[in-house]
Amino acid sequence: MEPKFTEAYQEAPEEAQTANCERTAHMLDMIIDGEATPEDQQFFNSHIEECVSCFESHQKQKLLKGLISGHLQRVIVPESLAHSIKVKIQETV
Amino acid sequence: MSEQQGKQLSKEEKDARFEAELLPVLDPLYNFAYRLTLDEDDANDLVQETYLKAYRFFDYFEQGTNAKAWLFRILKNSFINEFRKKSKQPAKVDYSEVEGYYNTDDVEGEGGVATTTDMRTESVQDLIGDEVASALNALPIDFRTVIILCDLEGFTYEEMAKILDIPIGTVRSRLHRARNSLKEKLEKYAKSMGYNS
Repeated sequence: MEPKFTEAYQEAPEEAQTANCERTAHMLDMIIDGEATPEDQQFFNSHIEECVSCFESHQKQKLLKGLISGHLQRVIVPESLAHSIKVKIQETV
Repeated sequence: MSEQQGKQLSKEEKDARFEAELLPVLDPLYNFAYRLTLDEDDANDLVQETYLKAYRFFDYFEQGTNAKAWLFRILKNSFINEFRKKSKQPAKVDYSEVEGYYNTDDVEGEGGVATTTDMRTESVQDLIGDEVASALNALPIDFRTVIILCDLEGFTYEEMAKILDIPIGTVRSRLHRARNSLKEKLEKYAKSMGYNS
C-alpha cells in the first residue's frame, strides 16, 4: 500500500530535534535571567532532559552569569561621598 | 502627571524624601559609575552629577516607584553626554600569567608566607574576580553596560529597556552578543574551570 502524501513528507525526527535545539538556544538567556514564560520554561526543561548538548549549553551560560554575579568584586563607596552630595545640592540649588 | 507632581513640596519635605528614597541607591549607583568609567574620581564626579540632576527633577519622580532604575537612567545619560569622551582604554588580560598561576603548586600568600588551603582559596577567588573584571572592562561600553545591569544589579529586561532607552528586543540581542563576547575573552580561564566552548 502506498503511503499518503502527508506521511511521505512528515518532518524527520532529526529535523524536529534541530528545530527544538534552535528554539532552546534562542531562549537560553531568558531562561537564565528568569524572563521566560512558563510555557517556554516547560518546553526548555523537557528538552534539556533529553538533549545533552543543550543541557551543557545551559550549564555554561549559568556558569558565565555566576562568574559575574559571584566573583566581580564591588567597589567600596568613599565615606565622604554622601556628605559631598548633600553639600553640593545645598550649594547649587 | 501624578497627584504628587501637582503639589509643591516644601524644601524640608523634598530634602527628607530625597534622602530617604534616593540615597540608599548610592552603593549600586557608585559601583555602576565605577564600572562605566573605570576610574574612582570619575565615578565620584558622575555620581555627584547624577544626584544633582535627580534633585533638580525630583518633583517629577513619583514616590514609591523604581528609584534605582530612575537614578541609573540619569547616570547612564550623564555618562554618555559628559564622560564618554574621557573614558580610558581598559587594560587587556594577560591570560598566560593567569594560566601560570593556576598551574603552580607553590603559590605564596602576602608577605611570602606559604598559603593555607583557606588562604589559597581566597587568593583564587580574588584572581577569578580580577580575571572577570578585566574581561568585562575590555568589552565595548554598550556590552559592558547590559552585563552590569543584568548580572550584577539584577535589573529585569523591562527595567533595562527603560534605563537604556532601547526596545526590549534590543536589550535581549545586546545581552546575547555581550555574553558571547565575554565568553571569548574568558575562554582560556573558562577551560581551566571545565568550560569547554
